[in-house]
Amino acid sequence: MADILSETVEQEDLKKFEKIYHEQLSKNDVTIKAQFDYAWCLVRSKYPADIQKGIMLLEDLYTTNEPGQRDYIFYLAVGNARLKDYSKALGYARSFLTIEPGNQQVISLERTIKKKMEEEGLMGMAIVGGAVLAIGAIVGFGVALAKAK
Amino acid sequence: MDEDILTTLKILIIGESGVGKSSLLLRFTEDNFDPEQTLTIGVDFKTKKVTLDGNTVKLAIWDTAGQERFRTLTPSYYRDAQGAILVFDVSSYSTFAKLETWLSELDTYSTNNNIVKMIVGNKIDVENREVTREQAMAFARRHQTLYIEASAKTKHGVQNAFEELVHKIIQTPGLWESYNDNIHVGQKGHTSPSGCSTYCSLI
Ligand SMILES: Nc1nc2c(ncn2[C@@H]2O[C@H](COP(=O)(O)OP(=O)(O)OP(=O)(O)O)[C@@H](O)[C@H]2O)c(=O)[nH]1
Ligand SMILES: [Mg+2]
Repeated sequence: MADILSETVEQEDLKKFEKIYHEQLSKNDVTIKAQFDYAWCLVRSKYPADIQKGIMLLEDLYTTNEPGQRDYIFYLAVGNARLKDYSKALGYARSFLTIEPGNQQVISLERTIKKKMEEEGLMGMAIVGGAVLAIGAIVGFGVALAKAK
Repeated sequence: MDEDILTTLKILIIGESGVGKSSLLLRFTEDNFDPEQTLTIGVDFKTKKVTLDGNTVKLAIWDTAGQERFRTLTPSYYRDAQGAILVFDVSSYSTFAKLETWLSELDTYSTNNNIVKMIVGNKIDVENREVTREQAMAFARRHQTLYIEASAKTKHGVQNAFEELVHKIIQTPGLWESYNDNIHVGQKGHTSPSGCSTYCSLI
């Protein structure tokens, strides 16, 4: 059964949003929406190269569009978990939870990631790396939330 | 454990932002309510097992974000869903008026054309209602969907809503049999000695 880390995007959808993105790119006028929609499809792809590309697009959005940072952090956690880069994924989830400690969606994502790690015998290994990343990732996100309030 | 499960059903929750979709799901899956429930990012996912009429089914529930900026992609999660819960807020007429749009969106993107639809009027605990029960029932009748009033805050109607939906799906021929051709509804209740444990008392 598919969950948030294993369900995959339909190729048809991926192609549709890829086309919109590339059309805008060729005119040198990529909207935040087109880039986010395409990135959201890419991180749900079954191909790691696509996921990697989705992560790059999200990282780019993260630095250029503060109001959306909450969304980008979430999908950066999802994308990295799908690439099995669990320590990075947990780092993003933890950064998020530092700002919104009660967020059910992120708490359950964190739980899903840890379950995957346990299944793959990786528990314990990734904790250190995750904590380091959290401090780096958190700065801009905090600023964005402070402004929103 | 898994062999006791009759089937897995895919359920969607859709509707305007803030009507209480995630709150209903949290109440149903964890019997909890968060007055500070934050808006969903993209889609969320939860599972829960329910036992109805002696059959245990696993629900895979996709809770979609109602906020405009996620709308282009959420329909891609409608595929293969057997049931859809369309939520509005009884204290906000505009969320009720938007149901028409949600229904047509569902017709456009869902791949099961006999998908079971249920409308849930949520937040009945609040003082100033803008949509009456009669209005909502008339709408549901016109669109041939189920209708239930609920409050994620007080629990009222929540368990019922999910159970009614599952009940109707199980009764709809061709909607789920394909996974388990040789099992018939009701059979589990008679054959499984361990079928009745924690869940039965709820029903
Ligand atoms: N009084 C009352 N408040 C509720 C009820 N259900 C939800 N709420 C509140 O309404 C707000 C929005 O609830 P959510 O569950 O996040 O709404 P949603 O439909 O999931 O919103 P999106 O994720 O943006 O689509 C939260 O503050 C909840 O606490 C209810 O039954 N009664
Ligand atoms: Mg929600």
